[in-house]
Amino acid sequence: MSALTDRQWFIGAVVLYGLSSLYSIFLWRRGFRHHNRVTYLLLLAGFLLNTGSMLKRGLATGRCPTHNLYEAASFMIWTVMAVYVVVGLWGRLRFLGAFASPLVFAFGAFALMPALDQSHGPQPDFSIHWASLHAALILLSYGGFALSFVAALMYLTQVHNLKFDKLRAALSLLPPVQRLEVTMGVLLLSGFALLTLGLGVASKIERPAGVNLFGDTKVVWSMVVWLMYLGLILLRWVGRCHGRRLAVGLIGAFAFVLLTFWGTNLLSTLHNPPAPPA
Amino acid sequence: MGIIVIGLSHRTAPVELRERFAVPEAEGPRLLEALRAAGWIQEGVVLSTCNRMELYAVVSNTSASSADAIKALKSFLEQRAGSGPLGEELYHLGEPESVRHLFKVACGLDSMLLGETEILGQLKAAYELAKDHQHTGALLNKAFQRAFNVAKQVRTETNIQRGSVSVASAAVEMAERIFNTLEGKHVMVIGAGDTGEKTARALKSRGASRLTVTNRSVERAQALAIELGGDAVPFDQWERVFAGIDIVISSTAARDYILDYSRLKALLKQRKAEPLLLIDIAVPRDIDPTVNTLDDVFLYNIDDLQAIADDHLRQRAEEVARCERIIQDRAAQLLDEQRRYLARAQAAQNS
Repeated sequence: MSALTDRQWFIGAVVLYGLSSLYSIFLWRRGFRHHNRVTYLLLLAGFLLNTGSMLKRGLATGRCPTHNLYEAASFMIWTVMAVYVVVGLWGRLRFLGAFASPLVFAFGAFALMPALDQSHGPQPDFSIHWASLHAALILLSYGGFALSFVAALMYLTQVHNLKFDKLRAALSLLPPVQRLEVTMGVLLLSGFALLTLGLGVASKIERPAGVNLFGDTKVVWSMVVWLMYLGLILLRWVGRCHGRRLAVGLIGAFAFVLLTFWGTNLLSTLHNPPAPPA
Repeated sequence: MGIIVIGLSHRTAPVELRERFAVPEAEGPRLLEALRAAGWIQEGVVLSTCNRMELYAVVSNTSASSADAIKALKSFLEQRAGSGPLGEELYHLGEPESVRHLFKVACGLDSMLLGETEILGQLKAAYELAKDHQHTGALLNKAFQRAFNVAKQVRTETNIQRGSVSVASAAVEMAERIFNTLEGKHVMVIGAGDTGEKTARALKSRGASRLTVTNRSVERAQALAIELGGDAVPFDQWERVFAGIDIVISSTAARDYILDYSRLKALLKQRKAEPLLLIDIAVPRDIDPTVNTLDDVFLYNIDDLQAIADDHLRQRAEEVARCERIIQDRAAQLLDEQRRYLARAQAAQNS
């Protein structure tokens, strides 16, 4: 691979995600009238650089690169983009990138904060494979929730246009609202299933002596997130949360995840253990 | 030899005149037989629709015999129609305008509804009929095949055929923005009215399989229900079936709202959490506009649908120049190929 570091590859990816976000504003203003190759190509290029960055990091450390916040964010962005790159092959869904790119750009920009990329120095001796699986499943679930956030935004946009800006609705390429509602439901269930699996796998990870699991910030936070999404599923099941309410719920839930993920991770002694004394 | 067009259309003649020139399908081949037997044309295709009657023919290219042929053909058609001599109503075009006109007709650029696609099917049917009776030859075969190809190119490369340009089709388009599919959807028609009926038919053609009609007049409701293949309910009982309705088309003569905010809110409680599309074609309106603010309810009145249809039509009109450039280029290409073909045929004949 080239002389560029994995971090420099990732910076390149984030720049491309940023350019796509700028272009998305233009597409948004035009009401998604045209399925556009520019967004897709920018995100595809970013995805390829993102993949290269993760491969380089993984080969250098000898493990799946999900062991600090920077790597976790990179992985999460990668999962969102992997889904988009596949579904975007169908021209009518290519505009999804206009919704996804601001999200991945924000994630990427945040991930590049220097303090998040802690070195792979002395670490508590977790059981490596279970920890990797746990991290991968959790991050995939966040990828699913991120896409549910995107679908919810699309749903609210489409409903608003159909009710109050009918010409724009007639000309845009957003999917039918009924299909968007189904998509929200599927992504909610998939993300929840992955989150449940990921949290379940965590029980296999060897815990350091003297650590109180339910005293750890990240563990408590994870339970809160799990309960939040479970609540949405149950309310939907009893018919109290669908359509606009479900969309608002998914947006609110993921916004909570976005705003608190980093802080709770930093405060967690399990996920961000202090460096051993010199 | 060259291609000519003689005919009349909605642009040049009113329907009372066009209907006299109409050529039923069975008569087309006999008409062409007569024209060829008289020596006026060598190849021919007759296109007869509700908006035009046109004869596409190959005549001799020399100006004298071509002019004689056109005069004879015009006279023949006028006599057949019993219209007497006509002026600009019955037009004729020679090359290159005749070829361009054929391409324009195939692309829907000469249609009453700009960009409509039905004419292409009608043109294909007319060509196939003439070909099956051996009334076409090298020139018309090539010209018509090229016309179909140009229509396909224009459809792919421009927006001339995109979007719905009538109120009924605009309603269907919006329904497809709301529902995943129209298959199996239940439509209720309240009242009677031409546009409402057309909208119901359009929805049915896209898969809506259950239709319920209600009207103050039970007889009219039943008559319309039979025509649409649905069932009728008495006007004072339509709320009984409302729970299962997906799309409502309302076009009554009521002076007040038949469906206001509080009434609909109460009715929605009986329904599953599914979208409800309300199409209010009536003037004065049948449905309270504030219902649009209710969750899962989407209300479109006649102005909304007309605005959508007009916008699509405006977009199509913007595409005309691009289509005409394509037609110009392709027509020039065809005529060039024809000239070379005729030159080769002439050379072969001379040698």
